[in-house]
Amino acid sequence: MNWSDIWVLYRRELRSAFRDRTIVMNGILVPVFMYPIMMWVMMTGLMFVLGQMERESSRLVILDPPSEHSALVDTLGAQTNLEIQEDVLSEDSAMVLLRAGDLDALVEFLPPTDEGSALEDNFQVLIRYDRAVGRSSQASARVESTIADYRSEWLSQQASALGIPETEHEQFQIVQDNVSTEEDIGTLLMGMMIPMFLVLMIAMGCLMPAIDSTAGERERSTWETLMTVSASRLSVVTSKYFYVATLGILAGVLNVVAMFASMGVIMGPLLMDLGESANAFQFSLPFLALPVMIVAAIALALFFAAAMMILAAFARTFKDGQAMVGPVFLLAMMPILMGQQTDQTLTPLTAAIPVANAAMMIRDAINGVFLWPLIAETLAVLLAMVTACLLIARVLLKTEDFILLSPDGRFSKFSKIFKSSSRSRLGRNSSEGLK
Amino acid sequence: MAIANVKVEGLQKSFWDESRGEVRAVDGIDFDCQPGEVFGLLGANGAGKTTTLRMLATILKPTGGSASLNGYDVLADPEAVRRSLGFYSASTALYPRLTGRETLEFFARINGYPANQVNQRVEELIDRFGIREYAGARVGKLSSGMRQKISIARTIVHDPPILIFDEPTVGLDVMAALEMQNVIHELRDEGKVIIFSTHIMSEAEKLCDRIGIIHQGRILALGTLEEHRQATGKHYLEDVFVHEVMQAEDQSAKAMASPGEPRTSL
Repeated sequence: MNWSDIWVLYRRELRSAFRDRTIVMNGILVPVFMYPIMMWVMMTGLMFVLGQMERESSRLVILDPPSEHSALVDTLGAQTNLEIQEDVLSEDSAMVLLRAGDLDALVEFLPPTDEGSALEDNFQVLIRYDRAVGRSSQASARVESTIADYRSEWLSQQASALGIPETEHEQFQIVQDNVSTEEDIGTLLMGMMIPMFLVLMIAMGCLMPAIDSTAGERERSTWETLMTVSASRLSVVTSKYFYVATLGILAGVLNVVAMFASMGVIMGPLLMDLGESANAFQFSLPFLALPVMIVAAIALALFFAAAMMILAAFARTFKDGQAMVGPVFLLAMMPILMGQQTDQTLTPLTAAIPVANAAMMIRDAINGVFLWPLIAETLAVLLAMVTACLLIARVLLKTEDFILLSPDGRFSKFSKIFKSSSRSRLGRNSSEGLK
Repeated sequence: MAIANVKVEGLQKSFWDESRGEVRAVDGIDFDCQPGEVFGLLGANGAGKTTTLRMLATILKPTGGSASLNGYDVLADPEAVRRSLGFYSASTALYPRLTGRETLEFFARINGYPANQVNQRVEELIDRFGIREYAGARVGKLSSGMRQKISIARTIVHDPPILIFDEPTVGLDVMAALEMQNVIHELRDEGKVIIFSTHIMSEAEKLCDRIGIIHQGRILALGTLEEHRQATGKHYLEDVFVHEVMQAEDQSAKAMASPGEPRTSL
């Protein structure tokens, strides 16, 4: 391996890449502009949906309301966001409407249970709703909230009639006090978002270059040209590997920088619209978090670059390459699932799961948690994966059929040929492979 | 007598085919080439020309025999072989997002041309091939004729002593093919060893100092055009070619009955 050759090849790859619209779009523009635009779209969309839901009235049918509690029915009827349908008189017809989505909730007043029947004017309420429909769930919540308020007031009146002061009958009050600061909330949000997007952006940054530098070379017929230069095969592949990893890291770094730069500006005003204070989004990063994030990003990029290049190298065309690298990109989605458990830190088990471990390592670092043995395990696992990929690449590079792509980009065919040619120590007809 | 720059002895390449088993694409080829000589491999499609040239260019590994270029063995020192070699074929395309000048710089550097002389060499070739007007334009935006010139310049930019042209005129129009032939003549006059494959008889007649007729992976006859004429009694190369191939087919049929029949040689 000749480092001077690798440098010349690496520069050539980068030069070509920065002139390719798709690579620049996926590797630079999307990571930089994705956060501001995506945040704006997400928050605006959220506010829009919330506003729509608030404005939407819930359609109710009330059956068998107790005459002693006519005030409750009046209260329900007086609410502007509840629309009582009085023309439905039976449970069966109401259920038909509910199932068809023409009704949001059925409120049935039932006699109290045996234990509760001793109490005067007692009743049960059965709220039937469709949990799979947001509007129906909202109707149930609205009715439940109104009845809970009514019950509280009714209990106060009863206590008052019995001469019990309100302060005495309302014992065991629950008061919540959120001790987290605005910065803690910001850290929580960033801890959820940065790992997820960093992983995705690194994967996206590697995706196009990995395909372009392998299947793309074949599609453009520059692969054979490259095979005739005096640099060794290993130098050629090493330069491509560094190039793909570089663009992965670049995409990840640009993405994080863009997020830090834009989150406060975008999130602040939007959170104000949602009723939070102007400083609702604050965020600071622990001192050690940045180096940990950089190391994780490099390890991830090395892994994605190796895995994607191996798969894409089997492809004959750019399109085939995209289809082959798809599974690796799906693997990058795993941290989204792991990221849902915000209070879970790295464990020896999770540190052994590639990609997810790096995402959790980054989230821990943002939260100021540095579990060094598990960080070491995470890096060891990722580097072991990279080593495995490179060993596979080494075997493939020695296989003429792979270099010439005789199997037409089909794994099954390649495996058959590989077995046969290994047995006979022969190559396969090359003239059909090189196009 | 000049030192042979290319020496091929008993070169073989067998492939494994799922349906046919072992297939001998090249079956014991011998030839050598001298500096200032255009050696032509003439054969039909599938005769083994491209496989032979790819073995010489170290893209494929021989399964038997040996080949050395400029004193370097293709198996023992493939990188040195490639440094001594310029390889041109219809399937060696250029990077579309590099300019012509960047392309030449890249191939000069990667093939080990002295770094301090790269710019001078590139400018020299830009003038030689008349590509200055579009040397700064991206290759992908150029016409096929312009690309062809850059491609030839790319092949010789590191000034290799040996050049391989694998069916270089395939897909070219008449003028472009003529230009290619002129370049090959010029390079021969500069003392390069040129190995040239084609299935176009007139091209071989016009360009080659010596011609090897290749059929089913074997060289049936090898010599100058005049030697081929004398050996076969045919004037036109096309007739010579047909004669040799038919004779080989006959011998092959006889060999089925009595194995071990010797090959024809001039």
